[in-house]
Amino acid sequence: MIEVKNVTKLYGNFKAVDDISFSVEKGEVIGLLGPNGAGKTTTMRILTCFLPASSGSVKVADFDVFEDSMEVRRRVGYLPETPPLYPEMTVKSYLRFISDIREVPASRRNERINDVVTRTGLEEHYTRIIGTLSKGFRQRVGLAQALLHDPEVLILDEPTVGLDPNQIIEIRGLIQDLAADHTIVLSTHILSEVSMTCKRVVIINEGRIVAVDSVANLEKQGEAGNIRRIVLKPASLDWQAGFENIPGVRIEGVATEGERVRFTLHTPDQKSYEQAFTTAAGKGHIFQEIVPARASLEEVFLRLTRSDDTSENGASQTKGGAAQ
Amino acid sequence: MKILAILKKELQTYFFSPVAYIIFASFLLITGYLFAVVMINTKLATLEPMFGNAAFILLLASPLLTMRLISEERRSNSMELLLTSPISPVEIVMGKFLACFTLYLVLILLTVQYPIILAQYADHLDMGPIYSGYIGLILLSAAFVSIGLFASTLTENQIVAAMISFGGMLMFWVFGWVKYALDNPLGESLAQLSILDRYQNFMRGVVDSGNVIFFVVFTVLWLFLATRVLESERWR
Repeated sequence: MIEVKNVTKLYGNFKAVDDISFSVEKGEVIGLLGPNGAGKTTTMRILTCFLPASSGSVKVADFDVFEDSMEVRRRVGYLPETPPLYPEMTVKSYLRFISDIREVPASRRNERINDVVTRTGLEEHYTRIIGTLSKGFRQRVGLAQALLHDPEVLILDEPTVGLDPNQIIEIRGLIQDLAADHTIVLSTHILSEVSMTCKRVVIINEGRIVAVDSVANLEKQGEAGNIRRIVLKPASLDWQAGFENIPGVRIEGVATEGERVRFTLHTPDQKSYEQAFTTAAGKGHIFQEIVPARASLEEVFLRLTRSDDTSENGASQTKGGAAQ
Repeated sequence: MKILAILKKELQTYFFSPVAYIIFASFLLITGYLFAVVMINTKLATLEPMFGNAAFILLLASPLLTMRLISEERRSNSMELLLTSPISPVEIVMGKFLACFTLYLVLILLTVQYPIILAQYADHLDMGPIYSGYIGLILLSAAFVSIGLFASTLTENQIVAAMISFGGMLMFWVFGWVKYALDNPLGESLAQLSILDRYQNFMRGVVDSGNVIFFVVFTVLWLFLATRVLESERWR
């Protein structure tokens, strides 16, 4: 559905996007993930024909964004970072205007407007002036605008930014609904959003793609599986030695809470973990919590988006954060 | 029609906000004051001073009316919406032009009260210069709107757009002034570019096809340039 090949975008001498390639299948939901200024918005603007690429080619629904720009625009719904609204118009007149410029046939106009207004939960605000709406509702109007012509492809630039937690959940739910019959590209710098809504992730940093993979694979990439967060009620003070006598086992981030201790247990494999468990239990220490730590997308992301000399730092910061 | 969609949206912006009414009120206040004072004192059954005043007020007011046309879309990011919709720059420019031009036509229509008032007092009102004056005023409006629209495509800052269009209009207004200092063919040809000289012909009752063509070409040229600026976004 979307084919991006070796796309580079220069602003003067600055490379906003540097030789990126990826493709999106029909019906897929893909997340563009990266820190601020990584090139997500530029990439999306190229996909929607707003900006031309300096080099490389982009095809959306088999049409080139430069050669057949009008055909691409007919098939794409786009929610820019700032919803493109006219504050002096009412939601109603705005959506009518959009249906005119988006070539919605007059016979289907009311049906389409009703559909998107219901989907985005704007029924009660239909006749209000956009300038008086709150940020969350403006975002919904922006989303309604992107859906109005029932496009095959949806491109959403940070659809949940600036919303409160309830609204974020609603918008995510809406995106999951839409995923059933749309191809969606969404950008975000919020990691949990990606794991909730997307199957595949393109991680961008400083204009380059650092990883394209499924969320599940990326999470596996970390040293997960052999890290556990444990809360222990020790029977004696030398409990720590009991663990560390087993070869390869490490304990980090010990924090004492009354008569309990909380720490992170690193074991080289399953066998040494079982050994540590039985030894400790044998000595009368009581395990109160064992939580297997999956390497979160966060850690993967930090590892991928930091250059080598700072990655050590980043890793220890995350661990420190987890222990607190 | 997508031109109509833009036209409708722009007219809504003008008429659903105080902008249009404030413009109408101040325009009518000034032209009405000058019309009344001039007519009472000179007792001449002519609209020539009114046409002169109206053109001068439009010269001052046009940058304010046209500056937001495209700049505002850029500033509020709705340009991103227009340029990612299946709508061409020609349609955007034509829709915007027609909307602002419609506003001017309403304004001009409101001045029709002056010849009507004049007809109540004049024994014999020469309608020729009045018709030609209105033709001139309409052509002049089209020219002002197009140059202002062009200036508005250049920047997202409305004040900058207003200054560019004011400078541009004033330049074409004063082109003819040098013909007294430059008494040679160069001065003559520069004076040919003057919209003021050409407009004054209409005020005096002369509808010269050359002048009509000048205004039409002038308008089309600036609209064409505005379209090119918008198109250039796609390959810049």
